[in-house]
Amino acid sequence: MAGEPLSVPIPGFAPELRRERQSKLTGLALLTPAILLAVLFLYYPLAFIVQMSFSLANSYLSPAGPTFTVANYQAMVSRYLPNVLVTLQLAGLATVVNLIFGFPFAYILVRKVRYRDIVRAFMVFPMFGALYIAFGMRFLLLPGGPATPLLEFLGIQNTSVLYSLPSVVFAMSIFTFPFMVMNVGAALSNVDPMLEEAAACLGARPWQTFRRILVPLTRTGIVAGALMVFGWNLGTFAEPLLLGSINEQKSLAWTLYQRGVVQTDYGLSTAMGVVLLILAFIVTYFSLRYSRGALVD
Amino acid sequence: MPPSAPAAAVPAPGGAASRRLSSRRIADLVSHAYIWLCLLVFVMPFSALLVYSFTGPGGTYAIENFQYVLGSFGENLWWSFRIAGLTLFLDLVIALPAAYAIVRYPFPGKRLLFSAITLPLYVPGAVIGISLVLTYNFTYHLTTSIWGLVLAMTVGSFPLMLTPIVVALKDLPLVFEEAAECLGATRWQTFRRIVFPLIGPGVSAGLMLSFIIVFNEYLVTLFVHPTGITTAPLRVFNLIRTAGLAPTTAALAVTMQLISFAAVLLFFKIFGTRYLRGTYLI
Amino acid sequence: MSTVRLAALTKHFGPTVAVQEFDLDVADGEFVTLLGPSGCGKTTTLRMLAGLIEPTSGRIWFDAEDVTYLPPRARNIGFVFQTPALFPHLSVADNIAFGLSVKGKKKDVVGPRVEEMLALVGLPGYGARLPAQMSGGQQQRVALARVLATDPRVLLFDEPLSALDRNLRDTLKYSILDLQRRTGKTAIYVTHDQSEAFAISDRIVVMNGGKAEQIGTQTDIYLQPRTQFVAEFIGANNGLPGTVTGREGSGDDARTIVAAAGLTLRCRSRAELAVGDDVVVYLRPENLVVLNDGEDGRFENVVEGKIERVIFEGPTAQLRVDVGGRELRADVSGGRRLTLIEGRGKVRLGFDDVTLIRAPRGAAQAPAPAPLS
Repeated sequence: MAGEPLSVPIPGFAPELRRERQSKLTGLALLTPAILLAVLFLYYPLAFIVQMSFSLANSYLSPAGPTFTVANYQAMVSRYLPNVLVTLQLAGLATVVNLIFGFPFAYILVRKVRYRDIVRAFMVFPMFGALYIAFGMRFLLLPGGPATPLLEFLGIQNTSVLYSLPSVVFAMSIFTFPFMVMNVGAALSNVDPMLEEAAACLGARPWQTFRRILVPLTRTGIVAGALMVFGWNLGTFAEPLLLGSINEQKSLAWTLYQRGVVQTDYGLSTAMGVVLLILAFIVTYFSLRYSRGALVD
Repeated sequence: MPPSAPAAAVPAPGGAASRRLSSRRIADLVSHAYIWLCLLVFVMPFSALLVYSFTGPGGTYAIENFQYVLGSFGENLWWSFRIAGLTLFLDLVIALPAAYAIVRYPFPGKRLLFSAITLPLYVPGAVIGISLVLTYNFTYHLTTSIWGLVLAMTVGSFPLMLTPIVVALKDLPLVFEEAAECLGATRWQTFRRIVFPLIGPGVSAGLMLSFIIVFNEYLVTLFVHPTGITTAPLRVFNLIRTAGLAPTTAALAVTMQLISFAAVLLFFKIFGTRYLRGTYLI
Repeated sequence: MSTVRLAALTKHFGPTVAVQEFDLDVADGEFVTLLGPSGCGKTTTLRMLAGLIEPTSGRIWFDAEDVTYLPPRARNIGFVFQTPALFPHLSVADNIAFGLSVKGKKKDVVGPRVEEMLALVGLPGYGARLPAQMSGGQQQRVALARVLATDPRVLLFDEPLSALDRNLRDTLKYSILDLQRRTGKTAIYVTHDQSEAFAISDRIVVMNGGKAEQIGTQTDIYLQPRTQFVAEFIGANNGLPGTVTGREGSGDDARTIVAAAGLTLRCRSRAELAVGDDVVVYLRPENLVVLNDGEDGRFENVVEGKIERVIFEGPTAQLRVDVGGRELRADVSGGRRLTLIEGRGKVRLGFDDVTLIRAPRGAAQAPAPAPLS
């Protein structure tokens, strides 16, 4: 791959720089397809929609060209603020649920469970996609469906569960549960079990050990997991659609689709996309800072 | 709450010991029960669909629904496999040199570059979808080609292909490549005959992860797919939206998940779980 | 098969100088060892010889060919690493054949050659095995077979024995020497182990801090060290700072008189030393002979000291003797050591061979006391 260096030094180039330079160029050349892929199919499109978000509706299609406007963003803040809030609310609730149920799960998994591979095998199911989760749950919760007897037994109205916030959040939580477990689990596995035993010997009760030893030591993992889960859930699409009421269906991703693809209001939908993107980026930025350590030196 | 009871050091005589010990055992039982409850919840949607997919008209037990899968859904499955295949191929061809460059070549800004190319993982699917469909429409004119869809899938799954390969390469001692070079091999020969075979597990991990994601992808596909190409997950989505819930749809969803699960199991069986480090599957 | 010549070879890693102006001429078929503590630049030099690193400046020639900037694969070398580095997914035979097969040699040539190499390293018939099925020593031998298969013109060894245990090291080092002799290839060997270097080298380069302190045969280096570092690094040595106070005699009887540690010593003359020069006097422990009464006349120099400690090592006994406030180590062998075990009290030491080394300007540094072992 790398060409042979000449034995005769090229005037003006110190020899050691020549090989290094070549190395750098070869390295960059090997990366070019990946960079090209990212630039052409991620960065340029993102830039494109940013630009388009400043255009009026589908004025891109008009022969005169796009009209520049900030109306879309104004609409985002006025008319579509509930959508943003719902999105944040759903993601936030799912994150909280993940935290509450995920931490003990991770703890037990790391400390007590020997059959980890079986657990891992089960944990892949949510990752196949939120669509199947939402689909399955919808089936379960249908009036006359399998869950009806149970709900009746608990005295809960069927319809109040099916197209409602709790079921959407529940489905979202299932989807991102493995991510939370992974982050917290990794952080927990770095905590020496002897510390907990020492605390117990010193008279600490479980809750105290948890609050004063475990949480501080796994703080990074918890935060990373929470941010990751929150970020993923910002883009929730299928769950609100299949399981939610009108209110939940205001989530940004679905609204984006409706406005953009169905109603061809490109300006508005790209503005929504940009808002969603910014939210996701903010979350990602902080999550990467807390993450388990970069893979690259 | 962490269910650990304080370690019973010296059992007190009589009832106190059995009380303390059994409270520990109860704690253990509760812990394991909790795990299994959660696992049940994970599998519950799938199981529900599985049961549903076997119901025939009038509540009878029917396997015919799965015939649908091979019949009218067969085309969708075929598209799914085809798209996945093309995407995985592109992923591999782009990721291998990229991974090698990242691990073995020195140049400034590597970390930034790595973050920049793995960014798609953190962009919400709907945003990727809308940005690509509009770009395809207005700039690239890719709306009718299968490659539009494939490339959209590629950019989204690329980080999942890249990461395990980078991990595997980092774990490969440099001395193997040095030895090969001193024996007279060119860089390419070294890569083909020494490096690639030895990172096989990492490559397989990348293939498996990308396959799972691409095979089951419906969201970006929804935005970007050319009319005439409907992958299986997209078909499921469309059917639910238009025809409501139906056992045949469930059968398709179940089939997709079974195929994906089989892929995961196969990988675990052959390679174990080592090579998924850093990819958030482990 | 090739001569090797290094001229002013230098390597900087940023601000650090790893190798500085290194010159060396290796004859065809010679076995030269680069010996020194870790960080002295010996491995860096070796890797520049292989082409794994590019020098900052300087030149390398194999015979008449300037190979300074050639990549490793173009140099026709054999490099033996610290770990055997056998390709784990290839059989032993495929490993050995690797260098030939990448050059496109056909099976009918490769097969017999592999067998020949296996026989050469004493592992006939092991071709079908996998590296994981072999012991560390066997793997290293396969590594040797692998580099020899391509008939390289220069062999380079980077501490190939340091990962092996003691007994294996001893046998394997002679195997390496034997192979080198039989194939007649020029060999450059890197190690930090003196006994290894002394056992198998034709010449030794003692390196420190990126520089070559001395190049010579084992006897040169041991008996006539040229620098403080060499005197102290090779074997055990007692060092005393002192000053030249006079010269006497001529020819074979010429002597330089040195005042050190309150003693007056008569040393074999070094023409370049003048009266008033700061020097360090080095005395090898085995050269300090414990004198019985009346034996004073045996040696030119006699000093008296008090035994501080006796360490019985088996074949030898180490005496730690306080002479004029400084601790000298004297090694006693033979029957005498047994009588000294309970040693207390005074003892007289006689010696002739004294090495004089000019001390660095301005500093009459006290050399480190002779190491305990």
